[in-house]
Amino acid sequence: MTNKLKYLIKISLNKKIKTKWFVIVNILLVLLVIGMVNLDTIISAFGGDFNEKTNVIVKDNTNEVYDLFKTNLGLSQNYLTDLENVNLSKSEETREKLIEDIDSKDVVIIINNDDTNTIKAEIISDQFVDTVLYQTLTSAINSSKITLSMSKSNIDPYELASINAPVDISRNILDETKEEEDEHKSFFMGIIFPSFILPFFMLIIFLVQMIGGEINEEKTTRSMEIIISNVSPKTHFFSKIIASNIFILLQVFILFIAGLIGILIRKYTAASSFSLGSEFDLSSIWNTLVSSGVSERLIYVIPITIILMFLSFLAYSLIAGILASMTTSIEDFQQVQTPIILICLFGYYLSMLAPTFEGSIFIKIVSYLPFISVLISPPLLLLGQIGLIDALIAIAILSGTIYLMLKYGMKIYKVGILNYSTTKIWGKMFKAIKD
Amino acid sequence: MLKVNNITKKFGDLKAVDNLSFEVNEGEIFGLLGVNGAGKTTTFRIIMGLLEADEGNVTLNGKKIDYDITDSIGFLTEERSLLLKMTVFDQVLLYGILKGMEKDSIEEELDKWLERFNIKDYKHRKIKELSKGNQQKIQFITAIINNPKLLILDEPFTGLDPINVEMFMGVIREFKKKGSIIIFSSHFMEHVELFCEKLVILVKGQVVLGGRLSEIKKKYRKKNIIVHGDVEVDKLMKIDGVLEVNKVRNDIEIKIKDDNVVEDVFKYISKCKNITKFNVEEPSLNEIFVSKVGESFDK
Repeated sequence: MTNKLKYLIKISLNKKIKTKWFVIVNILLVLLVIGMVNLDTIISAFGGDFNEKTNVIVKDNTNEVYDLFKTNLGLSQNYLTDLENVNLSKSEETREKLIEDIDSKDVVIIINNDDTNTIKAEIISDQFVDTVLYQTLTSAINSSKITLSMSKSNIDPYELASINAPVDISRNILDETKEEEDEHKSFFMGIIFPSFILPFFMLIIFLVQMIGGEINEEKTTRSMEIIISNVSPKTHFFSKIIASNIFILLQVFILFIAGLIGILIRKYTAASSFSLGSEFDLSSIWNTLVSSGVSERLIYVIPITIILMFLSFLAYSLIAGILASMTTSIEDFQQVQTPIILICLFGYYLSMLAPTFEGSIFIKIVSYLPFISVLISPPLLLLGQIGLIDALIAIAILSGTIYLMLKYGMKIYKVGILNYSTTKIWGKMFKAIKD
Repeated sequence: MLKVNNITKKFGDLKAVDNLSFEVNEGEIFGLLGVNGAGKTTTFRIIMGLLEADEGNVTLNGKKIDYDITDSIGFLTEERSLLLKMTVFDQVLLYGILKGMEKDSIEEELDKWLERFNIKDYKHRKIKELSKGNQQKIQFITAIINNPKLLILDEPFTGLDPINVEMFMGVIREFKKKGSIIIFSSHFMEHVELFCEKLVILVKGQVVLGGRLSEIKKKYRKKNIIVHGDVEVDKLMKIDGVLEVNKVRNDIEIKIKDDNVVEDVFKYISKCKNITKFNVEEPSLNEIFVSKVGESFDK
C-alpha cells in the first residue's frame, strides 16, 4: 500500500509539474518577483530625470531678502519635507533673461519691494511645481517677510532670533514599547504584507482550486472507481493532500529563491541605481529591525510562522479535499469552495487592519481561529501586539481542527468520492459523519 | 469461486439490489442482464467493495473481497474510466501499479496487448486523441493487464465495431480457458448468448430469471417454427397453441405455446403447397429477456 501511495503522489505531482504551463507560469513568476524587488532600478533604467535637482533661482531686487530666504528655506525643508534635490542660487540677471533661459527643472523667484506689504514675490516655472516644494518656497518667503518686517521695526536682535527660532517640541511617549510599535507599524506592515500575506493568500486559493480540480477530474472520468477499487479512500485522500502540499511548498521555495535572486540583483545594481526611498533599502530595513528591537522577536516569530504556514496549508487542503469529494463537477466545486475563499478573504482583510486595533479582544480571539490565524498571528506577534502564548494557542487550535477534519472528514470522503448525485450534498455529508 | 450471497442494497427508499444470489466457478462466464437501472452496476460495485451491501456478502474463494485481493481482480466500468490527459502508457502504468505490478511487467504486457489490438503506435499518444473504440480497447487492456482471476466487465462492447467485438470475445474466451471467473453485463443479448454459461436477469434489483442458459431455454417452453412456402396466416392463427404469426423477410415465423403444438402446426403445413422449410427453433435470449422483463414491468 505504501508503494501505491508513493506512486499516486508521484503521478499527482507529475501531472502538476511536468506541464509546459508550470514551466511558463514559474518563469513569469520568477521574472515578476525579481522585477518587483528591483522596480525602481527598472523604472530608472528606462530613463527619466529622477536624479535631476530642481534649481531655485532667486532674483532679489531688494538686496535684503535672499539670505533670510535661504535660512528660512533650510528650516522649512527640515519641517515640511525631506527634499534634498534643491539647488538654491542667487541671480543678477533680468527677469526677461531669466524667463528666456528657464529650464524644465528651474523655478525662478523674483522678489521686489512693496509699499504696503514690505515685499512681494513672483514664482515662475516652465512646468507645474511639486505641491510640497511650492508650499516650502511660499512658507520660506512668508517667514522672510516677517523677519524683515520685525528687523525694520527695531526689535532687539536677540529677541528677533528668539522669535524666529523653531519651537522646541520634545516627543515623549510613556510606554516605550508602544512608541516603538507606533513608529514602525506601518513600516513593518509595508514589508510583511507584500512578502508574506499576499503570496500566502494567493497560494491558498491556488491550493484549494488545485485539489478540487484534480479530484473532480477523477470523478467525472469515473477513473475514481478503478482507483478506489485498488487503493483505500484513505490512501487516495492522503496522496492528494501530500502531493498538493509538496507542490505548494515547491511554489513557496521558487518564490523564495526568486526573491533572493531579486535581492542579489538589487545589491549588485544598487551602487549605480537611484533609490526611491529608505523603505526599499535592505540595510536600512535590517537597521530598523535591530533598532526597534523586532529583530530579537524574529527568533521565535519565524519558526511560529513556518509552523502555522505548514499547518494552514494542510488544513486548507483537507477541507478542499473533503468538499471536492462531495461534488460531481468542477462547476459544483467552485460553488462549494466559496465559503473557504470567503474565510480566507476575511483573514486577508483582517490581517491588514489588525495591527491598527491594538489591544482589541476581538482581534486577539480572531488570531486564534483556524484557517485565518496564519494571516493574523505572525504580524501581530512580530509587532509585539500578541504574545508567544497566544501564537501557541493558535497553533494548538489549528492542530485540533486538523485532527477533527482527519477523523470526520475521512468518513465524508469515503462516501463522497463515489457519490455522483448533486442533490442533498450537505445532508449526505452530515449523514456520513453520523454513520 | 465467486459467491454472491443474498445481497441487498438500498438507496433511501429505493431497493437497488434485492436479495441477489449467484455463484460463478473458475473458467465460467456469467452474464448479469437487465435494463438500465436494474441494479447491475450496483452489484458490480458491491462485488468490487466500492459499496457495502446492507445485507448479505460476497466472497472470492471463501474470502471477503478487500484490498488484499483486489490486485487479482480486473474491472472494466461502463463509462470510460480513463484520465484523458494521460498517455496510453502512463494510464496503463498507473492502473498496473495500483494492481501491485512492477513497471517492467506492465510494459511487457501492454506491448503484447497493444500489438494484439493493432494499436501499438498509440502507446505514447494521449488518450483524448484516440477514437472511442480505441479508448475502449485501452480500458479493456487496463482491466486485463494483471491477468486477473476475477474479471468484471460492465458493458465491454460499447463503442466497438463487429470486428473488435469479435476480438474482445476471443480474449475473454482465452481468460475463460485460463480459469478466470468472468462476469459481464451487456445490452446485446446475442453477445451474452454466444458465450455465457450462466446468467441472471435483473428487474428493479430482483432476479426474474436465473441459471444455466441451456436450462433457461429449456424451461422457457415457447418455441418458434420457421416455415417457407404458401401458407395462410389466418388458418395458422386458428390452431390451438399458436400465439403469433409474423412475416420475417421471405419466411413465416410462428410462435407457439410449447412443444405439443408442433405436431398440430406440422399437420396443417404438410397440406400446404411449395413448402421448402420447416424449422423448430429455440427462442433467442433476446426474446426471453424481452418476455421476462416485460412480464415484470406488467406486474
